[in-house]
Amino acid sequence: MTPETQENIRMLRDSVAAVVPPGGGLQRVRRLRFGMPGFDRGVWRQMAEMGWTGLRVPEAAGGAGLGMVEACALVEALAGGLVPEPLAACMAVAPLLPGDVLGRVLEGHAVVVPAWQERADAVEPGADTVARGGRVTGLKLFVPMAAGADLFLVAVQDGAVLVEVGAAGVAVECAGTQDGGHVGTVRLDGAACRDAGPGMQAALDDAALLTAAALLGVMERAFAMTLEFMRTRTQFGRAIGSFQALQHRAADLQVQVALTRASVESAAAALDAGAHGPARQAAVSRAKARAAEAGMHVTREAIQLHGGVGYTDEYDVGLFLRRAMVLSNQFGSARLHRARFAATSLETDE
Amino acid sequence: MTPSLDDLDHMDDAGFRLAVRGWVQAHYPPELRDPPKRLHWRENKPWYMALSEQGWIAPGWPRELGGMGLSAARQLLMMEEFERHGAARTNDHGIVMLGPLLIRYGTAAQKERFLPRILSGEDIWCQGYSEPNAGSDLASLATSAVREGDEWVLTGQKTWTTLANDANWIFVLARTDRAAKKQEGISFFLVPMDAPGITVRPIINLDMHDEFCEVFFDGVRIPADHLVGEVNQGWTMAKALLGFERVMIGSPKQSAYALARLRTLAQHMDVWDDAAFQDSYVRLRLDLLDHTSLYETYVEVLRRGEMLGADVSMLKLHQSDLLQRITDTMLEIAGGNAGLLEPMGGNRELNPAGLFIQARPVTIYGGSNEIQRNILAKAVLALPG
Repeated sequence: MTPETQENIRMLRDSVAAVVPPGGGLQRVRRLRFGMPGFDRGVWRQMAEMGWTGLRVPEAAGGAGLGMVEACALVEALAGGLVPEPLAACMAVAPLLPGDVLGRVLEGHAVVVPAWQERADAVEPGADTVARGGRVTGLKLFVPMAAGADLFLVAVQDGAVLVEVGAAGVAVECAGTQDGGHVGTVRLDGAACRDAGPGMQAALDDAALLTAAALLGVMERAFAMTLEFMRTRTQFGRAIGSFQALQHRAADLQVQVALTRASVESAAAALDAGAHGPARQAAVSRAKARAAEAGMHVTREAIQLHGGVGYTDEYDVGLFLRRAMVLSNQFGSARLHRARFAATSLETDE
Repeated sequence: MTPSLDDLDHMDDAGFRLAVRGWVQAHYPPELRDPPKRLHWRENKPWYMALSEQGWIAPGWPRELGGMGLSAARQLLMMEEFERHGAARTNDHGIVMLGPLLIRYGTAAQKERFLPRILSGEDIWCQGYSEPNAGSDLASLATSAVREGDEWVLTGQKTWTTLANDANWIFVLARTDRAAKKQEGISFFLVPMDAPGITVRPIINLDMHDEFCEVFFDGVRIPADHLVGEVNQGWTMAKALLGFERVMIGSPKQSAYALARLRTLAQHMDVWDDAAFQDSYVRLRLDLLDHTSLYETYVEVLRRGEMLGADVSMLKLHQSDLLQRITDTMLEIAGGNAGLLEPMGGNRELNPAGLFIQARPVTIYGGSNEIQRNILAKAVLALPG
């Protein structure tokens, strides 16, 4: 990592304090959850003003021109504060957006999220959605934070198209998620659309890697809370963290967190170094498979090590398990990514 | 036809099972089958009253006290049939926990006063054991009871009190001797929930359900005859009755239910024929079958009328672990459905996220799995330390 990249990451981490209160207070997160649209447009504009929505957009196009290494670091830091704004999804698709829509995203006036999956578990563009003559018809599932989006970037047979949420022929039905957000089922019936070119698969891979980074942020914060609890909670006259059996459990969790960080950072560096084709997909799949599994493991253990309070809604650690439940399969489950790794890594050197 | 207790006595186990099955099919409120969450009294009351009217509400109590007088093994058969039908748990702390304790340790006046009201559903009891600083280390509990004249005065806080918001009575372990060794300074009290100084605060859990509560005692006064057993014997009495609970909690039925739901989900998600999934599934299925065989060896001990040893902790440990592995597998194959708040398409048979969340506390309550492992290591394996 160059000194310049390290400095960028340090500045991004510092800037996260603008939306994540010091100490990680979750009052805002709790206030917004289970409501619609489940996030704050004011905060979204703030994120745009700080250059986050265009973080990976080239400087010539008005963005910050940074890479996946920086994007992952930012998403990880925000995920530690469980921010509900769909930044990762929007960051992944921003490089595909035409100038006028990109302008709205860079200014924080529009939220664009990808609508790609036609099966419950997918990181590839569904092939059953067809765009012809400026009209698109199809059914997309599990679109993240659909009720707060202004446009969908819809994967179609040979690329992607943009659809305005309010256009005729667009119907969105939302289902609440465990973390207090929601996903949308989007029905497109001859809705007006405009071409957004090829590149959807790469955007979905970027989104998968950013989701892995988010899982890393979630598990790290849940783990830190758990360690703090183990240091302060006493039973049988001593801190529970002094029991060797629990120390070993914590040590094993630390290994999973470290593996996830190494996997995510290595994938991000590979992408920034220009990895393409199967090697790119293999790197992303390796990171997402690890993050999905370790994210669930660490947050499950966080509940268990907290005991009874871990199972209450009022104690914060449960919020991290709920977020992990949503993120672990978003942009492909561990099973899917392991299978894709097996298929793509055959063609790469090991 | 509803069989009498006498009829049941003359049946073999298979006949008994069928008789129970027929009765529950005929009398269980259909709208309450397989409830997604623990039901409150306002919801499960019809089922409680159906059992009460039939004289089947207290399978383990002696007949002369209004129970069915069944052996432990037959109680388990009955419970299995209820679970097979998807019958809800009732507010059963009076039946399962308090009743047996009063029968063994209560005065004649206490039995006469309290037992009939449990059978009739007039009194709904909850259990005040755990405290914020006394969970796994229950014996360190701090709620105090001080004798003043003809009364005891209780001050302190209980937590994880299941369905305290439904109960009109609570049985409480409280400290009556601070100088004694911690297990030897605890007594057992009966407290009406409407006594001045009691406050109940429901706790919303991760399933967004108010199944557990905190109960606060601020100088709560109860008459001296609301003490059960001798002063400072509460711990011994409460512990003596944990054996049967440990078998119930180790029943394979919860995992069997979850495994059936995993199968339904796998078929729905189109991964049923996937070789990797089949390997995971068969592994879980074999775990369940082996667990069932292990469980049956404990049922056999009860059938012989013998006491259970500390090794019964294995049942709770393995059952809860298996249940969690089954629900983990559900999330792994559920794709985007893994994060949903409600059952898929409103179908309660397809509820991976809900079952996963509900499986979380199973390794925490009833003696956490860490405590069960301590019991196995020390009391069974006689390891040092």
